[in-house]
Amino acid sequence: MDKLLLNPIRLKIISSLLGVSSCDFNHLQKVTESSKGNLSIQLKKLEESNYISISKSFKNNYPNTSCSITKLGSKRFEEFFKSLMSLKK
Amino acid sequence: MTKEEQIKIINDAIIQTKNSLKPIGYNLLFWGILIISMSLFHYFFPELVQFSNYSSLVYWIAIPVIGMIYTTNYNIKTGHKIGYETQLGRVVKIIWAVFGLSWFLHVAITLIKGINNPTLEILFSLAITLIMTGLIIKFKNITIGGLLLLAFVVYNHVSPGLNFLLMNACGIAFGMLIPGISLYRFKETK
Repeated sequence: MDKLLLNPIRLKIISSLLGVSSCDFNHLQKVTESSKGNLSIQLKKLEESNYISISKSFKNNYPNTSCSITKLGSKRFEEFFKSLMSLKK
Repeated sequence: MTKEEQIKIINDAIIQTKNSLKPIGYNLLFWGILIISMSLFHYFFPELVQFSNYSSLVYWIAIPVIGMIYTTNYNIKTGHKIGYETQLGRVVKIIWAVFGLSWFLHVAITLIKGINNPTLEILFSLAITLIMTGLIIKFKNITIGGLLLLAFVVYNHVSPGLNFLLMNACGIAFGMLIPGISLYRFKETK
């Protein structure tokens, strides 16, 4: 099993990004119910492993962080989910 | 963490980023009311709309363009508020942008070639766009609305002579207003 996805916050992030083309930091914070600092650390770990891509921009003069899942991230999640389901059997 | 807990985490996260249907409902409702009001106003007060050669053309271009600016602004703001864009939402957005482009092309061709009004061609494109939207978001009322609008267009080709303004109002009522109301009032369940 992918150790990176065993962390509940990282698993929530990847699961949230699955069906979306992009998702902003505030929504991910709401989904993961984590602090800004913790979320930033987990996002950085996922980005360093090329599971997600992060883009920073400005929305109405406020900085905005937007995340999206990469092909590798989708593949790793799929493998993780398959192994999870096989364990259930 | 148990396997059940992990599956629950995945399930909950996916549910929280599902496609929101309300903005699509609002868009249909807005355009339904606008086009029906414009058609009926033109029908009942033609002297106010057709006071010069190009006045009706300006009426049918300027107001929809203002409507497009308003709905684009509304959709951008709603997108920011929601905080994410689903793949489904992105596809629907692209389809409607293509419809907007086809509207501009129909109007431009009408102006350049000096041919008759492009109502039928625009309604045909709109019907196809509605059918595609309904099928993509799996909302039957929009698909049925699109099919009814398509039937209006086909009927007019088979049996021409219907008043374009009344046909526009009826077609839009079945194709956009009624599906828009049902989608806007639709309670999204998990």
